Amino acid sequence: MNHDPSAHAHHDLCSDHGGENPTVWDLPQVPPGLKQEWLELETRRHFLGRGAKALGWAGLATILGRTAPNLLAGNASPLGGLGLAPNFAPKAKRAIYLFMAGAPSQFETWDYKPGLADMFDKDLPESVRGGQVLTGMTASQARFPIAPSRYSFSQHGKAGHWVSELFPHTAKIADDLCVIKSLHTEAINHEPAILQITTGNMFPGRPSLGAWLSYGLGAANDELPTFVVMTSKMPVRANVQALSNRLWSSGFLSPEHAAVSLRAGSDPVLYINNPKGVDSGLRRAMIDGVNDLNRQLFERVGDPEINARISQYEMAFRMQTSVPELTDFSNEPQSTWDLYGPKAKEPGTFAYNCLMARRLAERGVLFTQIFLRSWDNHSNLPANIKTLAEDSDQPTYALVTDLKRRGLLDDTVVIWGGEFGRTVYSQGVLRPDNYGRDHHPRCFSMWMAGGGVKPGISFGETDDFSYNIAKDPVHIRDLHATILHLFGIDHNKLSFKFQGLDQKLTGVLPAKVIDGLLA
Amino acid sequence: MAWVGLCAAALPALVNAQEAEPSFFAARVEPVLDRHCVACHGPEKQKAELRLDTFEQTMRGSDAGEVVKPGDLKSSELFRRITLPDDHEEFMPADGKPPLTADEVRILELWIGSGASATAPLSAFPNAPVLRQPRAVAAPLAPDWRPHRDAIAALERELGVKLAPRSQVATDGLVLRTASAPARCDDATLARLAPVAAFIVEAQLARTRISDAGLATLSTWENLLSLDLTLTAVTSGGLATLAKLPKIETINLTDTAVDDTGLDKLRAAPSLQRLWVFGTKVTDANEAPLRNAW
Repeated sequence: MNHDPSAHAHHDLCSDHGGENPTVWDLPQVPPGLKQEWLELETRRHFLGRGAKALGWAGLATILGRTAPNLLAGNASPLGGLGLAPNFAPKAKRAIYLFMAGAPSQFETWDYKPGLADMFDKDLPESVRGGQVLTGMTASQARFPIAPSRYSFSQHGKAGHWVSELFPHTAKIADDLCVIKSLHTEAINHEPAILQITTGNMFPGRPSLGAWLSYGLGAANDELPTFVVMTSKMPVRANVQALSNRLWSSGFLSPEHAAVSLRAGSDPVLYINNPKGVDSGLRRAMIDGVNDLNRQLFERVGDPEINARISQYEMAFRMQTSVPELTDFSNEPQSTWDLYGPKAKEPGTFAYNCLMARRLAERGVLFTQIFLRSWDNHSNLPANIKTLAEDSDQPTYALVTDLKRRGLLDDTVVIWGGEFGRTVYSQGVLRPDNYGRDHHPRCFSMWMAGGGVKPGISFGETDDFSYNIAKDPVHIRDLHATILHLFGIDHNKLSFKFQGLDQKLTGVLPAKVIDGLLA
Repeated sequence: MAWVGLCAAALPALVNAQEAEPSFFAARVEPVLDRHCVACHGPEKQKAELRLDTFEQTMRGSDAGEVVKPGDLKSSELFRRITLPDDHEEFMPADGKPPLTADEVRILELWIGSGASATAPLSAFPNAPVLRQPRAVAAPLAPDWRPHRDAIAALERELGVKLAPRSQVATDGLVLRTASAPARCDDATLARLAPVAAFIVEAQLARTRISDAGLATLSTWENLLSLDLTLTAVTSGGLATLAKLPKIETINLTDTAVDDTGLDKLRAAPSLQRLWVFGTKVTDANEAPLRNAW
């Protein structure tokens, strides 16, 4: 715009131009790219702060993460909308991510290893471990005795997937599932691992997958958030790992792309109900007043975060109407309860959350992530995993089935999985009916269904011990690139300039779309 | 899949006549050069006096000398240019044309690194990437909507709907979205969309207030591929008119009052592939020929 970078070039160190404080332009050691980024922000500030108000708001539509049409009269215009359009025609319009936090064992779920049955309590060959560094939880064990799955497997569907007896319902949708057995990660502990798979990076502060999609694609329904998170009541409390909003944060993207957390019970979104004595008109007047103050502040200091706050007040106001309708299950027919099971009537259960996910999908919500914890079975694995499977198997089957019969599965991708795998050897005492498993990053299993994923296939293979990948490895970066591809997004093109870098979900290391997973 | 494998056996023109099997150059290298380079360095244009349309021309080089030094990647100008950062002013292909894929770069790397032979057989490169090419450009789904963006934006504001580009390909059409305010969308809304109807390839009308009169309007939207009528008041009586839609592939009738008679009328739709009738009065026996698993 009207800013000339060269005008800064001759400034003395720590000059104070225009009554402002010293800026990045005053520091000779700052790389030019960072200075350019600062300049762009600075230019916005001047333009928005000093220009005509109407012009300033028009400018916001492009600056403010792309759901900025919320702030303008009317709706998203194709003028700005082209920037929101996918790079190519998408297969998926929404995703529902069933996140099994704590890391489910692949041995009892999706990576059938019949050969292990005859190797009970035998030592894992050192050649398989290959000198891998173990966690402090098992590194000092004298032995690494092989623990075969306590649960049996049988083949299901035309796909012939080997499905664990823990999942009798999910077995019925075998032909819809694309089971991936060759996921891998570098992280061996929960927090870095769960950050890596939710945000693409082990360090906190990055936008999560749902936030990236929100930023890239915008909202189909302006009355509800683009990204919703639900945590589930735990049927068993064992080694519970903490969840935090780092996992569904917008990172450096505008805060409106962070997930809204839907809670169980009478107050699904905290603080959106009007207090006693405050009616809708008064609430509207109050929000108008606060927004006006915020706009004045924005004109003075030009910080885009202020506008994110304005848009969030507006979203909260709209949710006062849209959330009660969303969470009112009274119109669900008996067939719904038969499908999802009796627990679906109890707010906060995994079953309830699965039904909610279908209702969110119907209403155009882009990304729904449901967390179910307690899969971190270092001990008592057989009993704990059975309880978790009993809690989640029928609702998982119900969700996929419900989406399918309502014509939503074709453009909704459902993803099931945790943050890493577990060891073939037992942690602690090994008995035929009881054992534990430690963390294992070298391979783990997930499945996807719908939304342009190839149905009824198994992808990738592990060795006889499910310790190392034998065929077709899929790094988390590749998984992310593939999910974005389903949404019509080239993962190399979805970026956001921050700290001098074009930041991407898939980061700077090579990532590839896995063609074999695509329908 | 947006990509298909290119099988050398299916393309006899690539087979070197002297060899029982194609040369690596003919089967892998030439197609890469043809796709990315020859438009500017070929029979029509010879930028920098360089032609890359035959082996001999390629080895002859440009006005600045050889561009391929057999066995020496570092000194091969051609390889240097295609592996620069893509914002470098010497990067090739120039002017924002699509860069070579990683596989295509690898093919040139293998070829130059192994001595840039014209005749080395394909089988000598067992680890070379299989060459892929984009599928032929898909036929446009709808006219380019961009000249009408003002009219489109005005209708969005007036009607409280979204008309979102399906992709950044302008001839991929628009998606009509009503999820923000389905109760605002009724038969009159559809009638008002007539000026932009040709651009709409997908109409998401679940939970709206449209009825059979709206279906009559929709039956004139000739580029429609996909129609969601979930939980609307449409009936079997209105469905016959949809059978006129020449391109319609999917129709979702979940939770509507349609029955077997409506389904009979839809059978005439020439392109229909998927139909959902969950929550309707359609009986199993009747829906079987058209429905998807449900």
